[in-house]
Amino acid sequence: MAAATPRLFQNGQIASAGAKELRAADVLVDENGEIVAVGVGLEVPSGAEVIDCRGCVLVPGMFDVNVHAREPGQEHKETLATCSAAALRGGVTGVVLMPDTAPPIDTGNLVKSAMDLVAELSAIPMWQAGCLTKGREGKEMAGFSGMASRGVPMLTDADRSVPCPDLLRRCMEYARDFDLLVTSHCDTPPLSKAGSINEGPVSYRFGLPGIPAISQEIAIDRDIRVAQHTGAKLHLQQISTARGLKSVQCAKEAGTPVTCEVSPHHLVLTEQDIRDYNTHFKFNPPLRPAADVEALIEGFIDGSIDVLASAHAPHTEFEKSSDFGSAPFGAAGLETAVPVMFDRFISKGIFGWDLLIERYSAAPRRLVGLNPVAIEEGTKAQFFVFDPEGETPVTRETMKTKSPVSPFLGKTLAGKVRGTALGVAWHSQE
Amino acid sequence: MSELKPRKDLLDIEGLELPEIEYVLSNAVPFKQLFQRSVKKVPTLRGKTVLNLFYEPSTRTSSSFEVAANRMSADVTNFTVSSSSVVKGESLLDTIETLQAMRSDYIVIRHQAAGVPNIVASHTGASVINAGDGYHAHPTQALLDAMTFREVYPDYQGRKMVIVGDVLHSRVARSTSTLFNKLGIEVGVLGPGTLIPPGRHDFIRRFRSWDEVFEWKPDAVYLLRVQLERQEGMFFPSIAEYHKMYGMNTERLVRMRQIGAYLMHPGPVNRGVEITDEAMRYERSLISTQVENGIAVRMAVLHWLKPETDTD
Amino acid sequence: MSDPADSLQEVILSPEEISAGVRELARQIAYRCAGDEVAFIGIYTRGVTLARRVAQALKEQGLHYPVGTLDISLYRDDFDNRGSDLPTLESSDVPFALDGIRVILFDEVIFTGRTIRAALDGLMDYGRPAKIELAVLVDRGHREIPIQPDYVAKRVGTTRDQYVKVRFREDDGGEEGVFLATPRKIPTA
Repeated sequence: MAAATPRLFQNGQIASAGAKELRAADVLVDENGEIVAVGVGLEVPSGAEVIDCRGCVLVPGMFDVNVHAREPGQEHKETLATCSAAALRGGVTGVVLMPDTAPPIDTGNLVKSAMDLVAELSAIPMWQAGCLTKGREGKEMAGFSGMASRGVPMLTDADRSVPCPDLLRRCMEYARDFDLLVTSHCDTPPLSKAGSINEGPVSYRFGLPGIPAISQEIAIDRDIRVAQHTGAKLHLQQISTARGLKSVQCAKEAGTPVTCEVSPHHLVLTEQDIRDYNTHFKFNPPLRPAADVEALIEGFIDGSIDVLASAHAPHTEFEKSSDFGSAPFGAAGLETAVPVMFDRFISKGIFGWDLLIERYSAAPRRLVGLNPVAIEEGTKAQFFVFDPEGETPVTRETMKTKSPVSPFLGKTLAGKVRGTALGVAWHSQE
Repeated sequence: MSELKPRKDLLDIEGLELPEIEYVLSNAVPFKQLFQRSVKKVPTLRGKTVLNLFYEPSTRTSSSFEVAANRMSADVTNFTVSSSSVVKGESLLDTIETLQAMRSDYIVIRHQAAGVPNIVASHTGASVINAGDGYHAHPTQALLDAMTFREVYPDYQGRKMVIVGDVLHSRVARSTSTLFNKLGIEVGVLGPGTLIPPGRHDFIRRFRSWDEVFEWKPDAVYLLRVQLERQEGMFFPSIAEYHKMYGMNTERLVRMRQIGAYLMHPGPVNRGVEITDEAMRYERSLISTQVENGIAVRMAVLHWLKPETDTD
Repeated sequence: MSDPADSLQEVILSPEEISAGVRELARQIAYRCAGDEVAFIGIYTRGVTLARRVAQALKEQGLHYPVGTLDISLYRDDFDNRGSDLPTLESSDVPFALDGIRVILFDEVIFTGRTIRAALDGLMDYGRPAKIELAVLVDRGHREIPIQPDYVAKRVGTTRDQYVKVRFREDDGGEEGVFLATPRKIPTA
């Protein structure tokens, strides 16, 4: 961006992972996109743009390790450009892209092509994850060394469990040599089969085939045991049940290097929220009963759950307009994650910005070997301005994603990301 | 006159209020009396059109609706869509648009996927009647079952019925047990553990054997149809074993007579599976009454629902 | 129809006058139908009561006329305009063959004639009477179709927006009577 000017973010409150209290300070970002001063009552440099942050919170940019940007191959659902716009609206300044594109990213060359597209089309940094198995087919190991040399942050078959425990074991053994993180979407297909909703009284009432909790729990147990056996680093995506979380807690107590994530929708919605066959509430893993949600919230607070990730998985409105059983799983989540967490937890005093920053900014960066970011002198600007008194309407018109499909559609969430500073750029949302 | 909110669609039983149920069931009685006349037709729906939209073959239900509509002088169009021509429900919206152009006043729909009638209903001003969607609901079947039960038991409240078979995958069991519960009729279920719904359903008592059932002395036994093609092997070992464990046979018929229980079945029956030939001739079988009442109930439903179709 | 709360009501027939009207209908029928095979059909709800009362009055004279009932809801021509008042259907009960006999339809009031039109359609679906006649307690005029009563107890001149309400002990409880309700004029904006 040529001819950038310095920007002074005046009279805001700075949040950070380590501090419960917000700190009042001005933040000066110079023409190179670097934070050059943080302090109270900073002088306005000549020619500087002043952004009035009175009443607002300055929050380090979030990092999302579970994002489906759909490009290449499914640009009708989402593109790198629309995906990064959605991220910026949600205060997210870095993401890990799932490799379930068309074609799936399962070689070093494909990783390079994907990263070239990112460089060309994305407004934010993105890291391309690679597949564990060729074509995500669960039959043969993908080319780990090539992908490792291109800097993949993790290997995962994204939304698919490796069906064969022997292949999973070999993948983990092999990945260990490259110090690559193995990420599992836990599911046992023979158990989840044609299911589209949590199995239980709600699925019975809807007359829809259910996905039983054990479908995810058995896979969690299996993957943890294989990781313990092989010594691989394991990350578990989208924990959704109390029993599944318990398995992760036990493994951690035993010293296993395992981490896990939860998605905002699994923290704030239950299966009871599914009304009138609304496919925007169709997720895999599915929305669970209230008791599971309570356990997940507890785990999110006590640290049993390491990371928050949106599982941003847009599908077109047309694709979602079919019947519940036939509609694809997933919804857009990048731009609603922060407002949803603020609306449901921070604004109600259940926890503070420090915890959300730890789970959604610091821990996910550490997970993929990056340094956490903070609003400090001498670092690149990577933060967003959040107005606690503002509102985030979730509508087809306001959403930046290409596929405005969300369980929060039609709601107005408390709080608003006013804009995101990323290097020299200031992405205002006003 | 009854003060009821006009209702456009009949999608399931859960959403119905008791006065509405009473309204339809009491209106079904005079409709049934029409069948005794030489002229069985009334002009009520003259000029109205009923579209029978069936994505699953079902001669019985579709004929029942057709007869009901004909007897009310409506014009009926039958539209059967073979499932092979439907690409995974994706063309649903396109189909709805086509239907809109046909300007039907009533759409009777059966679909293999749960919730499809809800989608259709929200996109059309026509009254949508769910004639069975996936495992979800079959509300007119439940209404005809209630009418049949109440005919033999005018003092129906506090009476008991047991549903036998694949309760898990049965929309009939869902809708009928929900309706009977609303009417104050106790419902129990008998079937293999693999075919009983998960979780707790406090209005449902579960039995593990016919002995337990007969000890409970139900006033009616409702046999469900066994879905032969998809269940043998996965949910029970064999048809023979199912018949032995849960079928209505000679020995059980003796005990039915002892307690004076009526026998019901939504049809079509699998003879030799859930029911023997002999049991089909049971003197307290209500199976053909159910068919007759099906027409009366469906007439009462057509009479009750109020389409929001443009008349401009 | 006007809400009685917003209308002025006057009594057209007292309970005694209703009884006199019933006797008058019985007299006319006995006179004109002597020797014929006759059956009464009352239209739900108050036409049934009227038919029964006339039949009772005739029975006291030793003349026996069977009474059937007819619910004409399914034959009405205003089905599309039904509002939140949904018609509860009654069981039509015609326990005798209509073919070849003289049938007298009963309704409490005749107004536009449309109810009788629907009743005629309904009746024909039960058989083919030799002759159909109509008896009413009150004829208030304003016919919209060419149907006239054969037996009338009382004719009343009304305006189109007035409403004639018959209250029978059996159907409505309380005090009997026939009332003429006139809506209060509400100035239109």
